Amino acid sequence: MTATFLPWIVVLMIAVAGVQIGRRLRLWRRGQPAPVDWLGGLRALPKRYLVDVHHVVERDRAAAKMHVPLAGGLVAACGFLLIGLVTGLTAWRFFWALVTLAFLAMTAGALLEIRRRYPRRLARLSGGSWQTFPFALIAFAIASGLSALFATFGNALPALELLTLILAAVGGVALAATAAEGPMRHALAGATHLVVHPRPQRFGGGRSTELKPLDLDAEKLGTETPADFAWNRLVAFDACVQCGRCEAACPAFAAGQPLSPKHLIADLAAASAGGERPPYHGNPYPNARPVGGRIGLHAPIVSAEGVIHPDTLWSCTTCRACVEECPMMIEHVDTIIDLRRFQTQERGAIPLKAEEPLANFRGCDEPNGRVLAERTDFAAGLKLPVIAAGGQTDVLLWLGQAAFDLRGQRTLTALIRILTAAKVDIAVLGADERDCGDLARRLGDEATFQRLASANVAALASVRFRRILTADPHALHVLRNEYPAFGGTYEVVHHTAFLAELAAAGRIPLSPLAGRSITYHDPCYLGRYNGEVEAPRRLLDALGLERHEMARSGKRAMCCGGGGGAPVADIPGDTRIPDLRMAQAAETGAKTVAVACPQCAAMLEGVTGERPVVKDVAELFLEAIEAAAMRPAEAVRALEVEPA
Amino acid sequence: MKTTVLLSHARHPVSDRPQLSRLEAQAIALAAEVDEAPSGLHAGRNETGVVAALGHGLTALDRLDLADTTDPLSALAAFLTRQRFDLILAGRRGEGGHETGLLPYRLAAILGLPILADAVAITPGAAVETLVVDQAMAKGARRRVTIRLPAIVTVHPLAPPPRPFAYGPMRRGTIRRHPVDGSANAADLDTAEERPHRLRPKLMRQSAGQAAGANLYVDPTPEEAARLILAYLEANGIRRYGPLNDR
Ligand code: SF4
Ligand code: SF4
Repeated sequence: MTATFLPWIVVLMIAVAGVQIGRRLRLWRRGQPAPVDWLGGLRALPKRYLVDVHHVVERDRAAAKMHVPLAGGLVAACGFLLIGLVTGLTAWRFFWALVTLAFLAMTAGALLEIRRRYPRRLARLSGGSWQTFPFALIAFAIASGLSALFATFGNALPALELLTLILAAVGGVALAATAAEGPMRHALAGATHLVVHPRPQRFGGGRSTELKPLDLDAEKLGTETPADFAWNRLVAFDACVQCGRCEAACPAFAAGQPLSPKHLIADLAAASAGGERPPYHGNPYPNARPVGGRIGLHAPIVSAEGVIHPDTLWSCTTCRACVEECPMMIEHVDTIIDLRRFQTQERGAIPLKAEEPLANFRGCDEPNGRVLAERTDFAAGLKLPVIAAGGQTDVLLWLGQAAFDLRGQRTLTALIRILTAAKVDIAVLGADERDCGDLARRLGDEATFQRLASANVAALASVRFRRILTADPHALHVLRNEYPAFGGTYEVVHHTAFLAELAAAGRIPLSPLAGRSITYHDPCYLGRYNGEVEAPRRLLDALGLERHEMARSGKRAMCCGGGGGAPVADIPGDTRIPDLRMAQAAETGAKTVAVACPQCAAMLEGVTGERPVVKDVAELFLEAIEAAAMRPAEAVRALEVEPA
Repeated sequence: MKTTVLLSHARHPVSDRPQLSRLEAQAIALAAEVDEAPSGLHAGRNETGVVAALGHGLTALDRLDLADTTDPLSALAAFLTRQRFDLILAGRRGEGGHETGLLPYRLAAILGLPILADAVAITPGAAVETLVVDQAMAKGARRRVTIRLPAIVTVHPLAPPPRPFAYGPMRRGTIRRHPVDGSANAADLDTAEERPHRLRPKLMRQSAGQAAGANLYVDPTPEEAARLILAYLEANGIRRYGPLNDR
């Protein structure tokens, strides 16, 4: 009996799931066209799933232990049954033993999922249908497993077998029915998403973090309604499994600002369908602002009447922690920037404080309204040649916004001193260096960004250099990864990497700063955006510092709160992101936080009260040089009186 | 209410690039309060600065094709007479042009319209063809005036901030370019005298009322001095902590 019916139950499930996902498919097709390499995507699917996705899933061991037997068992069992149906293997008892085993594995997985939710579910998981979902899974697994067991041992108890088969059919169809709006959707949409992913370069150890240029001649700039998203982005929203890992990593959520990347993605998945706004069973946006909740394929998303409040959008620091953690490979930052682009460029609906730097960009290419020619003023008395058009240098130093800021100037001064001591051939662009445009772009002002990018690319084309050196990871990211789209491809190094090179080459005598405990705060735009987490640590170790790691470090470090224009948008929360990060730094017991970004330095130095000292790695490096230059006895004494 | 905003030829104080004057951008925000589709009017050849007005809330821009050396007064007056606007808003003066600050007044004289300066808020009046204007006065005072339209109103820097700029609407806005016929008179620059800028001492504000009384005390005890200072602050409403023994 099982041999006859169980495979057909699977066929029925596939049919039901197909009809259900077909409803979503029709919605996806209403999105904007996007270039997709179907063949390449399909071919890469197994590897993307087994390597890239698993790499992320595995960070949460318990989740991996649950998902492997659960999904593996389900897919294996259904696969076997289909093969059996086609080949006639169902007559063979050993076949049924295999099927039983697969369902056994699935049962074990479902049990583990139940353990994650009972007696108390993990705070980041969703309730509602997600909470009852594992019971449907286990019912189906046990009923089908028993049926298969009966088939293994022959028709011993036909009445019972009939019962288990009916149960299996009911459970299976119930599962398959959730493929449109319920939990099962993540599997089908997730697999599709892996095939049609908008950033295929990020798989297989690659990286793809640059924002894509917006066509400024397009009918509508940015994303207003769900229908304005590229269709494969709509697939991405449906792929969300509401695991909440992104939410747990989000600094804005932690600070009580009204943003949760998980909620945002769930809202967007709900937004395209129209009709009644489906209930959401995860954590609400912290200090949620009321919204009207109107949804629909052509309804504006971000507005007081829509589903997402503008404050949610402007809370994001674009730190990418959510993207890094998402097992479904969803690109939250792209989504947020798309939505911001519409708000800024079509509606001018941007927090007033954030409009100020944008107005300055338009007026004089500098977010604080400073005179470009004054960028080098801080370096009076230092050796810092300005390169003229047609000139040549080995290293072009990109000063960035730090040159206008007292804190940043301390770092840059240290860096220039080091370069002079190491006899590196450097020069700066002087008045031709406009702001790199990072802030404008993250705030959604793509027109301003593109203008600045083109002007800078032109200025850089007029001089000759081997590589660009900068102490600002934001400038680094933009110059290295985003300017190529505007015709400027450069070798850009961050000062941490450059100084690590210098230290390794042993060209300057360094005296170890032994006995000082530090912790290193990874800048998002260096670590997550550019994967550079080793060089800064190598450098700090070379300086003889005693390094303590924070619980969140490297590519999983927490943001300082300074990116993405969040400080200028200034959406209030319960606390401030830099306070949270500084507390994590203090927890390590280190007396100094080493930073590698002017924005991080400014944010962390803004933390009041007793706290570790904030030093840029360049400042620490200079201390080591100066210590080496002193007589040994003096050097020792200097270390003793050092406050840190 | 058919409204237009006069747009001057302004330059950015740092970069010297042509730009939209901030005050005129504020005027646009006021115009949008009473007109759904306000337009702007500029006399001159260079569009790069003033087009930004379309991104701050104007739907259309009329540009009179006039050389920069020409006095725009008669061309503006002729255009405004033809178009019959209910309300003409203007900033205080150009920023980077000739900056006499007289243009709105001379226009008002030629057109025979009333002019009201330093608006910070405008609303349509209860009666038809009237406008209620909140005027900024010295020391943060406000005065509410109702005027009959059509009229010219200039805007005060304390008016609400401009709407943030939006690139899309700027791109979609209409620019109507109007040739200016007849021989326009060159700007009368000869009679103007040019002098280097000289910083003048700031005018000291006379503090009001009794506070200006005897407040010179020679060699008081520290306690006495503290009491006098607190009493002074209290009397002038700078400090309101109530009787000293309260804290
Ligand atoms: S980029 Fe950072 S701040 Fe923005 S949603 Fe993701 S985790 Fe939160
Ligand atoms: S967006 Fe990704 S990380 Fe966040 S809840 Fe959904 S699947 Fe999990």
